Amino acid sequence: MNTELYKYYIIERGHHSFRKDCGKSLAEEYSSQGLSVDERMCRRFEEMCREETPHIHPAEKIVLVRTVKKLPDILTPKEWEKIRSSHYIHELGYVSNLCPDYEKAISGGLLKLRESADTFGKRVIDAITGLCDRYRAEAEKQNRTDIAEILSRVPRYGARTFREALQMFRILHFALWLEGDYHNTVGRFDQYMYPYFRRDMENGTLNEETALELIEDFFISFNKDSDLYPGVQQGDNGQSLVLGGTLADGSDGFNKLSELCLTASRELRLIDPKINLRVSSETPLEVYVKGTELTKAGLGFPQYSNDDVVIKGLTDLGYDEKDAVNYVVAACWEFIIPGVGNDICNIDGVNFPAVTDRAIRRALSEKPVTENSDTLLGYIKSELETEIIRLTESKKNIWFYPSPFMDLLRDGKKYNNFGLHGSGIAPAADALAAVEKYVYNDKTVTPERLLAALDTNYENDPELLHLLRYEAPKMGTDDDRADRLGTYLLNVFADCLKGRKNSSGGIWRAGTGTAMYYIWHAEKTGATADGRRAGEHYGTNYSPGLFTVTKGPVSVINSFTKQDLSRTINGGPLTLEFVSGLFRNEESVEKVATLIKYFIDRGGHQLQLNAVNPEALRDAQKHPERYRQLVVRVWGWSAYFVELDKEYQDHVLARQEYTV
Amino acid sequence: MNGIIFDIKEFSLNDGAGIRTTVFMKGCPLRCVWCHNPEGLSPHRELFVKTKGCVHCGLCKKSCQHPECQGLGRCLHICPNNLVSAAGEVISSDELAKKLLKYDRLYSLSGGGVTLSGGEPLMQPEFCEELLLKLSKISTAIETSGFADEAVFRRICGLVSFVYMDIKLMDPQKHRTYTGVGNSQILENAKWLKKSGIPHTFRTPLIPGITDTPENLSAIAAFVSGDSWEKLPYNALAAAKYPGVGRKFLYSPENPGSESLESE
Repeated sequence: MNTELYKYYIIERGHHSFRKDCGKSLAEEYSSQGLSVDERMCRRFEEMCREETPHIHPAEKIVLVRTVKKLPDILTPKEWEKIRSSHYIHELGYVSNLCPDYEKAISGGLLKLRESADTFGKRVIDAITGLCDRYRAEAEKQNRTDIAEILSRVPRYGARTFREALQMFRILHFALWLEGDYHNTVGRFDQYMYPYFRRDMENGTLNEETALELIEDFFISFNKDSDLYPGVQQGDNGQSLVLGGTLADGSDGFNKLSELCLTASRELRLIDPKINLRVSSETPLEVYVKGTELTKAGLGFPQYSNDDVVIKGLTDLGYDEKDAVNYVVAACWEFIIPGVGNDICNIDGVNFPAVTDRAIRRALSEKPVTENSDTLLGYIKSELETEIIRLTESKKNIWFYPSPFMDLLRDGKKYNNFGLHGSGIAPAADALAAVEKYVYNDKTVTPERLLAALDTNYENDPELLHLLRYEAPKMGTDDDRADRLGTYLLNVFADCLKGRKNSSGGIWRAGTGTAMYYIWHAEKTGATADGRRAGEHYGTNYSPGLFTVTKGPVSVINSFTKQDLSRTINGGPLTLEFVSGLFRNEESVEKVATLIKYFIDRGGHQLQLNAVNPEALRDAQKHPERYRQLVVRVWGWSAYFVELDKEYQDHVLARQEYTV
Repeated sequence: MNGIIFDIKEFSLNDGAGIRTTVFMKGCPLRCVWCHNPEGLSPHRELFVKTKGCVHCGLCKKSCQHPECQGLGRCLHICPNNLVSAAGEVISSDELAKKLLKYDRLYSLSGGGVTLSGGEPLMQPEFCEELLLKLSKISTAIETSGFADEAVFRRICGLVSFVYMDIKLMDPQKHRTYTGVGNSQILENAKWLKKSGIPHTFRTPLIPGITDTPENLSAIAAFVSGDSWEKLPYNALAAAKYPGVGRKFLYSPENPGSESLESE
């Protein structure tokens, strides 16, 4: 590892001292000149390229670092208000969560793209090329002939070597952020970079060691400016990189470069780039073992996705097979297509426990209550339909800032689909399972009793709280009574969106992700029939309810792989948390790897594994409700951390200090 | 037939090859002063209360009508934090086998299977035998103290793929002092196991001041004479569960000579 570079950029953040504010306020100036928004975006980009000061660290091989902190607005508050009042604005209004076609630019160079670009496209190319020329001059001044030589090739012309290709990527990615686009993903890095890597390895200009060094320098570049990128939390910046996966000819894409990327991420332990690994039932165990070695590092990487399910799901939704095979993940876990996509995969989310609760209350308020749960299940459909109409109808007349640079890197806007998250699917299924069992089948709880408990947040009925919270069937315990209803909810979700067109002419996609809705939705949702009190949070993404007493990760996997997940393929993983100490030797790494293979073989769509660190454990002591799935190794067995007595927890903590 | 168990652990990684499910059988004839599973000692169903998280609301102490709570002194169905339970589930070998076989795909993928632990599984030999016959298609292992009638020991060991057997102390008197029973039967069974051809590993828990003495370890080394032998570190957390089942933990690693056997 290049420790000097790591120390400078990551530990000391030495480059922050070169940062400055952009002294200009552009909005008023542009407004007074009556410029179009397209002109303004282009001008600001040119302006920002000029404002940048080349800065090269002696130890680095991949250059370009931001020195201007914040992009100035291009619209006055009044102009912005006007646009907002007549349009739907998605998040910040800039294009985001897309995966451009880096390959084309890396191989052909920007001058090639310039030939077919419009005026704005030509101008942004000239602007970024101008900045790179100033970097070249700076490199010459510092006697860095290696860098100067590379910059005399890229970005104007196509890359010839692996290092040129990495530098070219850095320039493209830098330009996207400088344009204002965000959550700029990385895509199938080990595929589009492979030709350069292989050539250099074959002709001997690169060996495994020097390649790894280059990759690590390159990975560090994702962390140089990331604090300037917009996001809900620091680190929420969408720099997702995808490794492995099926290729167009049906073969497996996991290669030597994929492997080196896993190693680089494991050695650096940086939160960017975020590593994703595409696998399928054909993937050999050794690939999972390599992935698990990275999981052990405690970063929560790699996130796995299952080609068998995702490609089928995307094809079923109408994506061309060749595009579906090429899928990548957006910022978190949404499946998108590189180069041709314009999907808004996170436009809103359905609050499943709230929808389910409305249906339950409606069914239980009827006099007399029906004999079986069929009526209730029917109400789920109509309540969900109502909610989906509400959510989808409001997403009309969407407005985005123009994105001349991004537009250079995509071949049209072939897909214009919108994705809806689904929060709290497991607690919603649990609530239905509880009502089905106790009210309809066993008839041991009367509708009046349940409704009264829901209305008083269970204050009046602690015995019912205990029953529904801890004894009722739950998703995550491999109980068909609940899992079946999870299946039902997902199918209804998919059915409800089927055939529905969005305002951009695309379709709607159903998903199992929550983003931040596991908190936002949960906090405004009252007590629910799964024994959840008002405001209590849901699990993240497609995971068990927080107070579900699961029997272990195997039952959890069984519960969450019974559904046909190809129908709800907007994305959203099952999350399993393990304590780092669990991966104590090669044998246990292989056992965890086998568990992942088991998940994929059973038809799971996406999986996130965490090896949790002591900070998280300490937090778990304060907030056990957030860490119900956290598995720890106590000595010869595994346990749920929050179920352990304090002294056990303290011991695990003390031990983790030195085993991590 | 029915047996009594006190836990089933999924994804158990250190109880043998591959990914295993471990069944903890309830009841043990030994009373090792360092035991970390006090809820596994009695062969009967008993109240098991977790103390961490208790807000002393008193709800569990009110009398209730549930038949399963009678005699325990607490209601099992009301604790808002789910801390009150009964250790000990009576289960038929059929039902248990069905539960364990649910994951056979994972066992075959990982070369794993089921491990019987406890407590002392050999305290329920007929149940173990029935269960093991129903699990004959998968790999099985047993973790035992070896304190059992020789016919029982040989019969059950003959039904499993792998045996983990404890050799705790070679000195018969010390064995009696610290585990409540003598070791002659254990050593006889161990000798048989060594010659049986059944794959096995001997295990010694390293209890400071009791089993980890040089004399004891060299005596065990001489006894196992080249067979697979694991030394397990002392579990400093052993005391935590004792109050939950109304028992006292008397051993202290700082002062290992001071304990006396606990009374029931």
